[in-house]
Amino acid sequence: MVSARFSPFELLLLKSRNQTDTAALLLLAWVMVSKGNVLPEDKHYLETLAAGFRHGHDLAPLIEIAGAQDMSAIQLAAEVLQKDWWNEQSFPFLRQAIGLATSNGQLAASNNHVLRFLADLLGVAPAAFAQLFQEVAGRALESPEDPSRADYWQSREHTRQQQSQREQAREREREREREQQYSRQRQRDEQAERQRREHEEHREREEHAYQRHSYRQGAGDRDERYRNDPPPPGDRSLRALHVLGLDAKATRSDIKKAYRRLAQTHHPDRFYSHGERRMATASQRFQRIKNAYEYLMQDARFV
Amino acid sequence: MRDLYKRLGVEPTADDTTIGAAIDACDNSALKADAAAVLSVGARREAYDGLHGMLSELGRLRARLGLTHGAHWLGSVANDFSLAPDLAQSRHDELVAKLDAAVVGQARLTRWRRLLPWLIIAGFTLIAAGGFLAGRWLG
Repeated sequence: MVSARFSPFELLLLKSRNQTDTAALLLLAWVMVSKGNVLPEDKHYLETLAAGFRHGHDLAPLIEIAGAQDMSAIQLAAEVLQKDWWNEQSFPFLRQAIGLATSNGQLAASNNHVLRFLADLLGVAPAAFAQLFQEVAGRALESPEDPSRADYWQSREHTRQQQSQREQAREREREREREQQYSRQRQRDEQAERQRREHEEHREREEHAYQRHSYRQGAGDRDERYRNDPPPPGDRSLRALHVLGLDAKATRSDIKKAYRRLAQTHHPDRFYSHGERRMATASQRFQRIKNAYEYLMQDARFV
Repeated sequence: MRDLYKRLGVEPTADDTTIGAAIDACDNSALKADAAAVLSVGARREAYDGLHGMLSELGRLRARLGLTHGAHWLGSVANDFSLAPDLAQSRHDELVAKLDAAVVGQARLTRWRRLLPWLIIAGFTLIAAGGFLAGRWLG
């Protein structure tokens, strides 16, 4: 009855164990939502950030409030933050906000404005804020784009055209490569087939020779041993084994174990907080490990 | 970013014909060219409107928080989207006032609740006295 007059965010703020943290989380959720498309990774990142706050309630209602663009709630949060956080702890908060805003590599114009608003709110000077942005995002803070100009749209469409052309060229290149690989594979198969045939003929001739010399028993033994020995791993499987830190004697379970261990240490999600570049290199490493694993898994020698 | 609607003198919700007329009537040739390029293409206008709404909200927020002269609020954005400072509407003060009202209401409620047993007893006594008097009068 009394609570009906409070808005949802006011209720959350009153229930919160720490009002400033609740307000800061709402503003972070607002930064995330104003990006336009919210990725599941962003939500996950916000959840990990929320673990460091002392708010003591659920995150979902906050995201809902921010998603509805409830400006009165955002104003209230900004007022709380302005009152309690002037020049204190504002850098870690801005760091998190920048990390959220640039998590997919680029900074949307609306987010640029939002970040500048937050910097003004917390009394961070432009020079200090630009330096902070450089540190977190790994590049300079640009002035927000201006879609009220005709040349903004022209340049944008131009780059999009170039991008699509580049993509088409890449697609063509990939097609050509695949064809080359296919023909090379065919050549190799033919060669292997020829070799096998020659080998068999040779062996038959040898067997005939053995028969003639009545050494049948020993020859059969040798044949059996020869068949049980697995063929040595090819060049590419050897390289793949090296990627996983194994040698030619590795078994399937060794490969699985090594892959799990390496995937855990090189997973890009672990480098989320280390910045954009670290994450990109980690994802490259992870991709290489995964490719090696997948190649080895489909290799007949390890089945 | 400039506020093209404000500079053309139309509402942001205006339809295409109104905007087309306003563009035709515009004197400034540079503004005319930009407005024609941005507002007369559907997809561009949609994107522009998204950012326009965001900046309007930010301008209002800044006006209410006393940040209309912030160091990061510069250029044509500050020029077109700033509103007059409006410090009267503090949501935090509103919340405190609401909270005070709620506390006072609660206190009044508890006071009445404390009086409730006495009220019940008084009511019973009145009913009993009435019954007694009615019995005397009838009998």
